[in-house]
Amino acid sequence: MSDIPVTRRNFVGAMATGLAATWIAGAWRAPMALAAGTGTPAAGPTLTPAQLRDLDAVSALIIPTDDAPGAREAHVVDFIDRGLGTFAADQRPLFEQGLADLAVRAARRHADAKAFADLDADNQIALLHELEAEHSEFFEAVRVSTITGFLADPKYGGNTDKVGWKLIGFEDRFAWQPPFGWYDRDASRSE
Amino acid sequence: MHHGASSRRFDPGAPTGPAFRPRDPVDFVVIGAGAAGGVVARELSRAGHTVVLLEQGPYLRASDFNHDEFASYQLEEITNNHRSQPNTFRTSEQEEAKARAVIQYARLVGGGSVHFTANYWRFHEIDFVERSRRGSVDGAAMADWPITYADLEPYYSRVEWEVGVSGLAGASPFEPPRSRPYPMPPLPIKSSGVLMERAASKLGWHAVPAPMAILSQPYRGRPACIQCGFCEHFGCEVGAKSSSLAAMIPDAEATGRCQIRPMSYVRKIELDRRGRAIGVKYFDARKREIFQRAKAVFVCANGAETPRLLLLSASNQFPNGLANSSGLVGRHLMFNCYEFTGGVFEHEINGYRGMVVTRIIHDTYELDPKLGLAGGGGFDFRFDLPPIAFALGGLGADAPTWSGKFKQMLRESYTHTLFSLAHISQLPVATNSISLDPTVRDAWGLPVMRLTFKEHPNDERLIEWFSQKNVELLNAAGATRTWHFPPGRVYPEVHLLGTCRMGNDKQASVVDRWHRTHDVPNLFLVDGSSFVTGGRGQPTMTIQALAFRAAEHAAQMARRGELGAG
Repeated sequence: MSDIPVTRRNFVGAMATGLAATWIAGAWRAPMALAAGTGTPAAGPTLTPAQLRDLDAVSALIIPTDDAPGAREAHVVDFIDRGLGTFAADQRPLFEQGLADLAVRAARRHADAKAFADLDADNQIALLHELEAEHSEFFEAVRVSTITGFLADPKYGGNTDKVGWKLIGFEDRFAWQPPFGWYDRDASRSE
Repeated sequence: MHHGASSRRFDPGAPTGPAFRPRDPVDFVVIGAGAAGGVVARELSRAGHTVVLLEQGPYLRASDFNHDEFASYQLEEITNNHRSQPNTFRTSEQEEAKARAVIQYARLVGGGSVHFTANYWRFHEIDFVERSRRGSVDGAAMADWPITYADLEPYYSRVEWEVGVSGLAGASPFEPPRSRPYPMPPLPIKSSGVLMERAASKLGWHAVPAPMAILSQPYRGRPACIQCGFCEHFGCEVGAKSSSLAAMIPDAEATGRCQIRPMSYVRKIELDRRGRAIGVKYFDARKREIFQRAKAVFVCANGAETPRLLLLSASNQFPNGLANSSGLVGRHLMFNCYEFTGGVFEHEINGYRGMVVTRIIHDTYELDPKLGLAGGGGFDFRFDLPPIAFALGGLGADAPTWSGKFKQMLRESYTHTLFSLAHISQLPVATNSISLDPTVRDAWGLPVMRLTFKEHPNDERLIEWFSQKNVELLNAAGATRTWHFPPGRVYPEVHLLGTCRMGNDKQASVVDRWHRTHDVPNLFLVDGSSFVTGGRGQPTMTIQALAFRAAEHAAQMARRGELGAG
């Protein structure tokens, strides 16, 4: 337990510390609440259209769209917005303040930019690098929640049509038989 | 838990079994319904004794478990919750401990055996006699166990046959003697296992079928594994994983003599004036205090909570903690060491499909004395990260964490990655300990556990040695890229060992060779706390073998009238 901070499990367990933990641990309550009929998503969005537009622009840089769907096609923003209205409501101020700050920073970069989404791609990326270098809590929260929404069960509002799972090659069959992969294709035949 | 409240057939906090009244002494109270407590409750109730089994977490069933990573991966619902039960941590007794989540244990009926990977290695002969065979180590409290492998062998076989373990006897040239084969063949090999065989043959080592507490065939009314791939961190939804919950608890309930009381958080073991245990005080789900009387008490609360409960049970008779005349309760804390190295391969491994581990290597179980290293270790190849966890931490320490490059890496590596995991000894050190924090309280108002821990230098040297071997193995298997997580302690710690060590000398140990405390004649401790040394990882098999042995002996003592009136 030396002070060298990063090991596999606390690295993976980034989920279990700090902001990510709040997001994940908070999420644990969601299925229980939904089952009890108390956690149904609010009728409308939690964030404003302008906030959602910027959040979408940030998450689309975290997992961009190329020849395969990215955060945008996975509707990660719906996942995050639903979370901020239910199980992750305690993180709503962090997102709202972070998005407000983002708009200010965008305007500083370009006089015509009223929002982060108004910036061109280069300026958007540069701004995110700036936040990352500052160890911004907001950026880390958006990054973790984007990745989480991209790969969580679609019932939570993201990973639409399982695009995240398809991208990485994860099939949600939950029952397998040999061969499991390329290297055991012969082993299973001979057994 | 997506089945939800509406379909729930039972209350996970409601007692089951006979309705014993707290004021009427039962033969045994067993504290903790995990790997050890499940065995002890089953064995004592089957031997004809009345048992109350207290578990601080809920009583969930197989149908409550699912594959929802987002909901379940960190499983704070079924593990100790660090908001209500914080740990404090420091590296030496001179420091003030600060809040830090270190210890993780499953908090439900079945305990860690519900969400574990189910590797079921027996200890080898050396693990019980390392001190006399290999000598002392400066700064470490190396000692022989008061029992040998031969003493425990019959109970290892009982675990394999009664709990249900799949494997292939004689496959490993390093396997210690055994009286019976496994009750069922190994599970089918995966790509990770084939690659491990390839690597082992290049290094002149032996990759052998992994013994797993997962059913390869229907057994004792339970079905074979369906290869869902969600063992580690998840409960088994078909009951093929041989947890205490699936394999032991139903037998205990079937006797009609075992009452299971979930959501029961024990705060104190009470003594009479003669210094005998007379029962335990616990909080029920509504935090009402209940005093359950008993003729004898078994503590199976794990290597962290067992010593904590003894320290919480201090009294005028035992001002330094119950059964702590040796001063050793809580000391010699061990976690086992690990080293993970990631490897990416050309073709699909699809490690997320099927059980986690299919082959292991034990050529390094005992190391060449010329290396000057105490202890040893073994390896498995595994891929144990569901999608979100992989994306947040499974690409490697230097990998991008967002952007198109990040996406590309995710896309290329999820089905092509495996980890070489070395399971490594950790030496017992007297100052590594569980104690009570002087200021921080849990949600029940009790002092929380304070950890004092610093690796022995041998631990760090072993990790370094095994780290190099992990790379050699992955390269020999044909990895196109390998990477380490930076060295350092693993978090969270899930193997909790050594804190109430067994021994013949009452000044140098807490329990005797039968797990009875030296100080209190009707108080027994059996779980990871009983370990004298920590083996090479994979402690659960040994915990259960010890539990079978301890329960059998306690039942004999009870029959002879040695544990109290009646």
